Amino acid sequence: MSILQRLNDEMANVAAVVQPGIVRVLTGQNGAGAGTVWHSDGLIITNAHVVGHGGVLRVALPDGRVLPAQVIAHSRERDLAALAIDANGLPTIQPGSSSALQPGDWVMALGHPWGVMNAATSGIVINVGRDLPDMGSTAHNWVIASLHMRPGHSGGPLVDVQGHLVGVNTMITGPDVGIAVAVDEVKDFLKRTIGSITPGNIV
Amino acid sequence: MNEVLKSLSDDLAAAVATAGHSIVRIEGRRRSPASGIVWSADGTIVTAHHVVERDDNLKIGLPDGATVSATLVGRDPSTDIAVLRVQANGLTPANWIDGADVKVGHLVMAVGRPGAQSQATLGIISAIDEGWRTPMGGMIDAYVQTDVVMYPGFSGGPLVGANGAFVGMNSSALMRGVSVTIPAATLTRVAGTLLTHGRVKRSYLGVSAQPVRLPAALAGSLSQETGLLLASVEADSPAEQAGLMLGDTLISLAGHPVHQMDDLMAVLSGDRVGTSVPAKIVRGGQVHEIAVTIGERS
Repeated sequence: MSILQRLNDEMANVAAVVQPGIVRVLTGQNGAGAGTVWHSDGLIITNAHVVGHGGVLRVALPDGRVLPAQVIAHSRERDLAALAIDANGLPTIQPGSSSALQPGDWVMALGHPWGVMNAATSGIVINVGRDLPDMGSTAHNWVIASLHMRPGHSGGPLVDVQGHLVGVNTMITGPDVGIAVAVDEVKDFLKRTIGSITPGNIV
Repeated sequence: MNEVLKSLSDDLAAAVATAGHSIVRIEGRRRSPASGIVWSADGTIVTAHHVVERDDNLKIGLPDGATVSATLVGRDPSTDIAVLRVQANGLTPANWIDGADVKVGHLVMAVGRPGAQSQATLGIISAIDEGWRTPMGGMIDAYVQTDVVMYPGFSGGPLVGANGAFVGMNSSALMRGVSVTIPAATLTRVAGTLLTHGRVKRSYLGVSAQPVRLPAALAGSLSQETGLLLASVEADSPAEQAGLMLGDTLISLAGHPVHQMDDLMAVLSGDRVGTSVPAKIVRGGQVHEIAVTIGERS
C-alpha cells in the first residue's frame, strides 16, 4: 500500500476513534452545538457560547439517547462550560497535551456544522499560545489551526494524530483559520471549578 | 497506531523548526509585522517590498528572539522584493530547493514569523508554469501557485518544502486572492541587483499605447496582424526626443514584434537603459524605422 493510502486510512481511523465521544448539545428550540465527552460518567465539555443563557439544555448521544443536562461549571472568558448528564459507560476522547503541540503538527476538528453529524476537517497547527494575531494578547491559551472549521464545530473536539484531545473548537477568524481552547486550559478550568479533572468526585 | 500520520505530523513540525532558523520578523509598517528570509549569515535579509512601508526605523526580530535595527539596501516594487541589512553574524542562511524538483501536488507550507515564533499553514503546489510579468512590469522567472493560506504577516516569508528547505518567497500582494510564490531564481537575480546597485533599473519610453489591427496590405507585408497605436507621447521623453508621434503605430522595437502591451513591457527590460534601439513604426500608411535611446524610469 502506498504511503498516501496508509495516510488516508490513518486519518479516517482518527475520525472513527473520536466520533463515539462527540455529542450534540441542544438548546431551546433549534439551537445546537457539539460537545466532547470528558468522562464516561457523564461529564461533557462544550463552549460557554453554545450553552448560552440558560433555558432547557439536553445532550444527544451517538447511541440516540437524548438526556437532560445541567451546567456544573461555566467560564465565558475561556468560552468553556462543563455539563453533567445522567449516564454511565460513555466512550470518551482521551485528553492529550496542548503544550506539546508545535506549528506544523497535524490536527483534526470534528463537530456538526450545517446539521451534518461528526463532520471532520483537518489541517495543521498555525500556532499555540496566548498571542493571537487577530485578537491580541489574552490571558488564556488557544490552539490556532489552518483548517475549514465552521460555526457548528463549536464545542467539538480538536484532536491530534493519536486521536487525543488537544482543544475544544470555539471560533473562526477567517474561512481557513479555526481557534480552539487549548486542552491544558480545559484541565485548568476543571481543576479550578470542579476540583479535579476526573469527575469521579462530582456528586 | 497511525504511524504514517504521526511521522507526517512530526516531519511537518520538524520542517517548520528547521525553516524557522532562517525566518525573521520584519517591523516596517504600521499594521502587523511581516516576515523575512535570512539571505546570508552576515545579515542580509530578503523580504516583500510591500511590507516595508517606510525607509527608516526598520527593525528585525531574529530567530533567537533578539530585535535589532535594520537598514534598507534597496527595493524593487515591480517584483515586490526588498533587501534589508542587519548588523549580525552567524545567522542561518536559507537553504533553497532547486526549482526543477518542485512538482504540482507536493506538500508545502507557508511559514511566517509575524510574532515571536514561527507560524505555519499547509497546502500543496497547485500550479507551476513558465515565467510571468507582474502588473508593474517585473519579471518572475516561474509561476508557482499554491493553496496555502496566507495568514496576516506571512508575506515575505518562505514557501517551505517537506525537507524544511525553501521553494521561494510568498507575497500576497502580487496577485489578489491567489497564493503565489516568487521563486528562488528571481530572488537571486533581483537581490543581487539590489545589493550591487541599490535599485533595479527600469526602462522608460514615455508613451501610452493600445493594440490596433493593421491594414490588410501592411499585415501581409510585415507578417504581423496587430501593432501598438501611440495614444500619448510624454514631453521630453525618450520617445519624443526620438521623434515618435501621437498616432504612430509601433510595429517592433529592438527587432521584437510588439502585438500587445506585454510585448513592449518585455522589451523594456532594465538592461536596455541607455542603449539605442530601432523602432519600426507605421506613419501615414508608410513603414518607417527610427532610432530610440531607452531612458530610465526614475
